[in-house]
Amino acid sequence: MTMTCEKRYEMLLDKYLDGEISRDERAELFEHMETCEDCTARYYELKKAVMLVQSSSHITAPDTFTESVMNNLPNQKKRVSWKKWSRKHPFVVAASLFILLMASSLFSVWNEQAGGDISVQGSRDVTINEEAATVTVPEGETIEGDLMVRNAKVEVEGEITGNLTVINGEQYLASAGEVAGDIEEVDQALEWVWYHTKQIVGDVFPSGRDNGE
Amino acid sequence: MDAVVKRLIKEIKKEGDQDAFAELVDLYKDKVYQIAYRMTGNGYEAQDMAQEAFLRAYANMESYDESRKFSTWLFRITTNLCIDRLRKKKPDYSLDAEIQGTDGLTGYSQLAASQNLPEDQVVTLELQEWVQREISHLPEKYRAAVILRYIEDLSITEISDVLDLPENTVKTHIHRGREALRKRLGNA
Repeated sequence: MTMTCEKRYEMLLDKYLDGEISRDERAELFEHMETCEDCTARYYELKKAVMLVQSSSHITAPDTFTESVMNNLPNQKKRVSWKKWSRKHPFVVAASLFILLMASSLFSVWNEQAGGDISVQGSRDVTINEEAATVTVPEGETIEGDLMVRNAKVEVEGEITGNLTVINGEQYLASAGEVAGDIEEVDQALEWVWYHTKQIVGDVFPSGRDNGE
Repeated sequence: MDAVVKRLIKEIKKEGDQDAFAELVDLYKDKVYQIAYRMTGNGYEAQDMAQEAFLRAYANMESYDESRKFSTWLFRITTNLCIDRLRKKKPDYSLDAEIQGTDGLTGYSQLAASQNLPEDQVVTLELQEWVQREISHLPEKYRAAVILRYIEDLSITEISDVLDLPENTVKTHIHRGREALRKRLGNA
């Protein structure tokens, strides 16, 4: 075996181990090894060395490694991000989201209704004067239950057995009139929202409204 | 995994998020520690180098180019640190030397202590110590190439990125490292 011959097969063997040998080169290398003991020995020794290195078992970092790295980081201002906080308190987030959405929907309902048409809820036995924007509970008339009036002045000459709620208006109780329940006037959007929240809470937890009914 | 890494890096870059960084450390600690261990040959140095690599990665996250593989960048920091350390320590450091303050504990028994080998492990502990010793005898640049190729299983292209060397140079380093190992390990 000449020196150049040896270099050639060394090169082919390296290519083989790098996984970059062509078919023809591979055939050439293995054909050569059939007759060359040196190259065959080299081939097996290299394979064995690579196998030993590859099989040296994989070590893992000590259990305390991450902690140790973190303890050596420069101090970070303990600024708890909103995202992280919300991940830890999903209920609070859900509740506030609910309240926010409810409030905004009530606001929009308010905006639609403010300055709009007169609406009466609870009874038909009232006199509505659109031009003067008044709703009158006529004398001698008894309204069973609650009455809610929007966008109008309410004159109570008769009787209401339940609560009277006046939204975006005012109420006038004639000397002869009578409201058995509470009289409530709601003028501001916020009050309106608060009023509805009370209603909803009252519906959800009925015990809180026992004395009103 | 790539998507997770991208998200974590974004969070770290944006607000220095340390929790995100802890997750990143958990993902890569074993690979980085393994490289540091194989490069330095003992647990103390490995811990030191691997930790330093992560701290530098955190401090320099801004300069990490997200279009490239994160592991490549991280491994580059790790190997550079190890090679620097080895060059500095060369005159007075040897794996056979007793580690200061540990009664008769050498680098090899440190290796043994950090591993849990199943009984049926084909390669025995002694064999592994021997392999590690021979890896430790390789010159740093060959050692890095051999470790990345055969222990971390990286491609030549990736190794060339990690070591910032042309692919042909990487191949030459692997060939020479392999040849040196053949002489020490191959004929036993």
